[in-house]
Amino acid sequence: MKFHPKHLILIAILALAAWALFPPSDKPTEASPLKSQLDKKPVKYVLRMAPGVYLPGLQPASAPKPLEALTHVAREYEKFFPDTRIEFANVPSSMREWLVTQLSSAQAPDIFNVNVEDVWQDTQKGWYLPLDDFFDQPNPFVPDNKHWNDIFKYQAITQGKRAPDGHMYCLTYDMVETGIFYNKDLFKKLNLKVPSNFDEFIEIEKALKKSGHVPMTIDPEMLADWAVDLMFDQLYYPIAPLTDLNKDPKRAMYLANYLDWDEIIYLHRKGFFTAHDPRWVDLFRILHDWRQYMAQDIVNLNPNEPFFSQQAGMIWAASELVQRLARDPNLGFDWGVFYLPPLTKNQSRYASGRPMCVIGGSAMQYCVSNSAISDTHDVKTSERLRRVIGFLQFLTAPKNVDAVVNEPIFFLPNVIGVEPHAELKPFDEFLHRPYTSTKWYFTFDLKFDEIMRRMIPLYMDDGMTQDEFIDVMDRAITAAADNITARKKIDFSEFDRIWEQRADLRKKYEGLPDAAR
Amino acid sequence: MLRANAISSTGYQPVNSNHGLVAHATLYGMIAPTFALLAVFCLIPFLWAFSTSMYSVEIGADPTFVGLANYHEYLHDPTTLISFRNMFFLTSFAVLVTVIVPLTIAKMIFSLSSQRASYWYRVLFLAPVVVPSVATQLVWKSLIYGDNGVVNSFLTTVGLGSWTHAWLSSPSTTLWAVAFVGFPFASGINVLIYYAGLTSISDSVHEAAWLDGATGLRKFLRIDVPLVLSQIKLLTILVIIYGIQGFEGILVLTRGGPGFKSMVPGLWMYFNAFSFQKMGYACAVGVVLFILILALTILNLKYFRSSEDVQEKK
Repeated sequence: MKFHPKHLILIAILALAAWALFPPSDKPTEASPLKSQLDKKPVKYVLRMAPGVYLPGLQPASAPKPLEALTHVAREYEKFFPDTRIEFANVPSSMREWLVTQLSSAQAPDIFNVNVEDVWQDTQKGWYLPLDDFFDQPNPFVPDNKHWNDIFKYQAITQGKRAPDGHMYCLTYDMVETGIFYNKDLFKKLNLKVPSNFDEFIEIEKALKKSGHVPMTIDPEMLADWAVDLMFDQLYYPIAPLTDLNKDPKRAMYLANYLDWDEIIYLHRKGFFTAHDPRWVDLFRILHDWRQYMAQDIVNLNPNEPFFSQQAGMIWAASELVQRLARDPNLGFDWGVFYLPPLTKNQSRYASGRPMCVIGGSAMQYCVSNSAISDTHDVKTSERLRRVIGFLQFLTAPKNVDAVVNEPIFFLPNVIGVEPHAELKPFDEFLHRPYTSTKWYFTFDLKFDEIMRRMIPLYMDDGMTQDEFIDVMDRAITAAADNITARKKIDFSEFDRIWEQRADLRKKYEGLPDAAR
Repeated sequence: MLRANAISSTGYQPVNSNHGLVAHATLYGMIAPTFALLAVFCLIPFLWAFSTSMYSVEIGADPTFVGLANYHEYLHDPTTLISFRNMFFLTSFAVLVTVIVPLTIAKMIFSLSSQRASYWYRVLFLAPVVVPSVATQLVWKSLIYGDNGVVNSFLTTVGLGSWTHAWLSSPSTTLWAVAFVGFPFASGINVLIYYAGLTSISDSVHEAAWLDGATGLRKFLRIDVPLVLSQIKLLTILVIIYGIQGFEGILVLTRGGPGFKSMVPGLWMYFNAFSFQKMGYACAVGVVLFILILALTILNLKYFRSSEDVQEKK
């Protein structure tokens, strides 16, 4: 065959394409999960853990190197049990969908981080193991410990994670809370001070807007989650003696007056959370009025960017943001953090005036799946489960908590004797406030969450009127209530009795729906 | 099944159909594995979806027979009306641009006097096909519709800063923004399909048209378009099927939001199946979409003339 220059070009293109198919050398670091899983030795128990933000190999913003503490802790644990190996797994971003399929086929990691409110939805399916008995026993890795439960620092929050069925399904490893991060330099330049109530807060937002800045950014999903719960607590707290129908002594430490799904369903049937409930209407009016002080595009905007580029004066975010704020050498401004101030009567006549409650609490909530008893399918006889629980106990030894939780500047350690990073101290103060009256976003099924998450930004962007929005929410609550009533087989007869007993109490309160009277 | 009379029309000897089964056992044997795989991966799941749509199925829980309750619920679902409206809008828009734009481009390429230029234009139009559609959607989402994207930057540059918009997240613009992804709609494959149709028109037809004085737009509309009706029909059916089934573009761009302003039935089916764990309900949505696609395809095949019909009529 005669050689032509065209052939050379073709060969060059093919060679380039072949070269492009080979990825660059990906030598695993000592800490990476890949490395630990490559060094496989034959062992009897291979335990899988999806540790969330502490996954070895992840590199937090502005951190000098990838996380590695958890790998070292795992290797130490393996020295106690040479027949056991700990492997770490990442989970896809659409974690919930992934988890459901893994759990239903008993393929889920033995230990994984998940919002425990999601766990509560599925406790009847046997996917998750209750941990109560283990928390009552000593932790052998903590000297002189009699009950594992005793080592946790934020006791109220930890115990508040008990499910409505009374069982504890998660280990609360660390704490997270939200805050309003602000640009101190900008505040100084505009002569602004940290607000003590919502009126002052709005004045600050006005001043920032007037100066050409975006007053505040927030992830739109958090509006449906944090903002609704905080405003709800502000408006409904005064009538808690009437609305809190289910007193649960085990959960009352942290969840005093907390409304579970059964209480919300019952109250909804009495006209609460509908267009006939003035508090409910006020709640969403306040959110809508607040919208004008946020970025133009709240749905697609990365809320961090305007704040870090100093286009925005404030950002409402969780404590993870401290990592970048504290470690970014090119930050270029001084920052501070305060908690959202309370509503006043100017926002709603039903405003309680009490400090805003908290909505964070547990950050990494480690649950144990049915995979942990895959050896015998029996909690009492499973040796594998003993290894799993043993690792969780080892993980909560103060030395290990310090190493793992304080490696990044994300969250506050939840074990006595382990101090958080200094930059996270303000969040420690926030966490001593009372907890929210309910968590709407985690109360019902995922369809309800989806509707709520979508409709709030749409309503706030004038895509629908307030009446339309309240109507959509009313229908969504009704549908979710019917669903959960059928799934959990809820009996409301006890609530009927309590409601009758509170007839006199109802006369005391103004602004109740007619059906509730 | 192979039909004896169909074979006979090709000039082979007619054979008895029972006989044919034996005579062509080898052929049937060869297609059997394909058919078996098709049955396992396409036909059985399809039948399973029909049956599942009659049950309330939650992953990890026992299914309960509910009859037509899932269909009844879907009929009253707040997303149904708006999602079907969006689907019809987006599909109609897609059909319109798929018929007009690639055909116009194919005609322009076909009319080039230089064969070399014609070849290179076809290559250029086909080249973007190698880019995955998800990558295209992401480019549109951030680089074109973003706060500092091409559209807003252009408007600001020309002094129309007040017209800048959150195109994908604004309730009033989201659907048009989704529809315009892929602008100028010059899909290489569609251009090639039309180009193939145009090349198959006999030279004698072109000469006759020229002798009759039909040139330019008149020739295009009266001669070329009727003779590529088969291609138009094919693309219309494909676009309708994709328009009704497809949702991944919207999932990437808006997730059907803001609210449900850009929701389509396919995406709602996906959310119900994999996010809400309502598999029975999702299957009911799927069955409704199947019936719709089937009905539209039958209507299209029955009433939409092909170029063969046009030629036969002439």
